[in-house]
Amino acid sequence: MSAGSEGNPYKVYWVTWVILLVITVAMLLAEELHMPRWFLLLFLLAFMMVKATMIGGNFMHLRHEHRQMAWMVATGLLVTSLILFAFITPETWNVLARSAR
Amino acid sequence: MAEASHAAALEAHWQGGVSPFGATWQKTMMWIFIVTDGLLFSGLLCGYGFLRMASPLPWPDRSEVFSIPFIALMTFILITSSMFMATAVLAARLGDMRKALRNLIYTIVGGAAFLGCQAVEWSHLIHDGARLTSNPWGAPQFGASFFLLTGFHGSHVFSGLVILIITAIRTAQRKTPPQGIEMAGLYWHFVDLVWVFIFTLFYLV
Repeated sequence: MSAGSEGNPYKVYWVTWVILLVITVAMLLAEELHMPRWFLLLFLLAFMMVKATMIGGNFMHLRHEHRQMAWMVATGLLVTSLILFAFITPETWNVLARSAR
Repeated sequence: MAEASHAAALEAHWQGGVSPFGATWQKTMMWIFIVTDGLLFSGLLCGYGFLRMASPLPWPDRSEVFSIPFIALMTFILITSSMFMATAVLAARLGDMRKALRNLIYTIVGGAAFLGCQAVEWSHLIHDGARLTSNPWGAPQFGASFFLLTGFHGSHVFSGLVILIITAIRTAQRKTPPQGIEMAGLYWHFVDLVWVFIFTLFYLV
């Protein structure tokens, strides 16, 4: 537990919950701000990662685990997902080009 | 000398030590399972991205298809149940099994409410004409992506609920150690974590 939650050990979960809800509301309202599409995407993806990190770190206690464990989980998921994405994305352009012909 | 101590440190972690990664084998295996299950969803989300980007027909407009406030309510329910689960895990660790059981029950109620909401959402979409291969709003791949992604997630919520109900019953009978609640909690948080990605990539983007 962090120093701030020594009084009430459950406080970290309430604070995380509130932050997650605030971020969710911000994500829902983002479209109303009529920001450029690329910026909206960036905004949503960034906050998605923040939410995932908070759930993994605080609810799943990954930030209190052995650092190697946290690295195994984070790199295992992120690197493999990026490899999948990198192999799949270029193919979508090929498919689109073929269907446009 | 330094090499020898490094080898000894590695051995302590990897050569059958009682706590690889400084965690019990149950927790380590649960994390490995979570990574592999996460990769399943990663593949599904990449497949969805592929279908969406490669579709020559426009992807359905989310505000036309979904009730976004309703999806927001589902998200609220799942995040809240995750918070109760984290509280249950800590209460069990601190030896307060009554509080752990109470929060486990809140988590189960939240999970059941989420599944109920998902059933309502599916019913509405099916009633409006959404099928695996067609829908009235745009690209036909939308239906397959939606039902596959949310269906897989829903099946995880369902299995998580079964695990939580068994854990709650065994906690009430004082048969589940705190670590059992922690393992169930890791799985439940994973279900919440996956929803964060589905919510953003499918409902908001």
